[in-house]
Amino acid sequence: MLSIEDVVTTYGAVRALDGVSLTAEDGTITAVLGANGAGKTTLLRTINGLVKPQSGSISYAGHDLLKTRVENIVHYGIAHVPEGRGVITELTVEENLRLGALWRGERSVTAQSMREIYEMFPPLAERRQRSADTLSGGERQMLVVGRALMAKPKLLLLDEPSLGLAPRITAQIMATLRHLREQQGLTVVLVEQNARSALSVADEAVVLNLGKVVAQGKASDLAADEKLRHAYLGF
Amino acid sequence: MFRFLNLTLSGVSNGMIYAAVALALVLIWRGTRVVNFAQGAMLMFTTFIAWDLSQQHNVNYWVCLAVAIGAGLIMGAVAERLLVRPVETGPPLNAIIVTLGLYIFLQGLAGAIWGNSQAHSYPPGYSIIGYKVGHRTLLFAPNDLYIVIAVAIILVALYVLFNRTPIGLRMRASAFNPEVSRLLGVRVGRLLTVGWALAAGVGALAGLLAAGTNPGYVAPTGYFDALLIYGFTAAVLGGLDSSVGAVVGGLLLGVLLSYGDGYIDNNVEGMYAVIILIAVLMVRPNGLFSRRAVRRV
Repeated sequence: MLSIEDVVTTYGAVRALDGVSLTAEDGTITAVLGANGAGKTTLLRTINGLVKPQSGSISYAGHDLLKTRVENIVHYGIAHVPEGRGVITELTVEENLRLGALWRGERSVTAQSMREIYEMFPPLAERRQRSADTLSGGERQMLVVGRALMAKPKLLLLDEPSLGLAPRITAQIMATLRHLREQQGLTVVLVEQNARSALSVADEAVVLNLGKVVAQGKASDLAADEKLRHAYLGF
Repeated sequence: MFRFLNLTLSGVSNGMIYAAVALALVLIWRGTRVVNFAQGAMLMFTTFIAWDLSQQHNVNYWVCLAVAIGAGLIMGAVAERLLVRPVETGPPLNAIIVTLGLYIFLQGLAGAIWGNSQAHSYPPGYSIIGYKVGHRTLLFAPNDLYIVIAVAIILVALYVLFNRTPIGLRMRASAFNPEVSRLLGVRVGRLLTVGWALAAGVGALAGLLAAGTNPGYVAPTGYFDALLIYGFTAAVLGGLDSSVGAVVGGLLLGVLLSYGDGYIDNNVEGMYAVIILIAVLMVRPNGLFSRRAVRRV
């Protein structure tokens, strides 16, 4: 279980997160929604340790994440999928994937785990020896998701996986997430501006506005709340 | 024609040394975005350590070489940890000033230990008497062949390290995208230290090879500064980001300087290097092989 309590993160005078609390139970998909600047990405960066919060606590499976170095969160089974820019374009597709599994040692980069990713995302298989900067936006997104999965995570943090993607590819990625949740009990925290597609796969949802939680509950309830949708989610 | 061949061969041999220095600069630039101005002084210092062993204590050439490279590895790692790490997050100028400070420090220290004024000579690895073709002598001796082979071995070893091993993959990843690499569990800081160590080790090799070709040139000041300028020119020529570029840049520079010496005037070699450097910066500032600079904001 990922548990975030009363986290305050500031950039200078700006309170990017202003007392945010949320929990993500194992095996659930939690959507974090909100407009640009609501604090969604800051929330993810605070969870994985790239940004240090001013106060509050964050723990996962009994580990205090605020005391954990960024390099070590992967050891607790947490994988972060950055926005499409997180592809290391100077490396090949296959090297990007290998990198995901390297923390477990070289021998863990098995042909088997590589094959699973290629089966999940066939376009990557065709381009495995190509430099990652030749990939399209959708393929890059597949690559960062695939790379995170190579780490065999228990908790997947995704930052705007639908950004700049065609709806068909977004749907494909969302379907992959649901599949992983059902098959492997993966826990997912999904940060999205595209509330409609996120709510379609999520179990729970949190809406952020200017660093504060303004709504929290079952994804289906939030999707049904017309006022909330108009005010914060834009559909 | 024979003269042209000779100048080319001599240029290739010198060019391999410049390539090694350029490679040392590129390794550090790729990892930390710092031009290591202390590189010349670092390889001067390791060369002096080898000189001390070899000339004062009669230690075998190959042992001296190993010690110099080992000292380079340690010096690089220590420089990164103690000096560069603390200023890494600050403005780029801070790191440059720190490397300049290290340069002055090492030069002063070497002067204090081994004396500033007189130049010493360091033995070459092999004979410096040129191969004979018929009755004519090539400007290419067994020692030049040794230089070419030694640097080539290092190049191949580094290529294999970077492209065929997990630690190489980690090093490339952390050089290109440190934040993403950390999220994937790569200990970026540790790899930067390894990068500096490797660079200084390659530099140490270049220093010894250079000292062996220029009898009377091992001095705290002078020749090794020129070596840094040549290495830097070669690195810029190839595009600071590219290790292939560093090698091609080094060879190209070596040959061009050799033609300049042979056909124009051999007293102003440093000037040719500076002219080439300025010309490259004006015409093709990203160098011949860089593909990344285009994208950098």
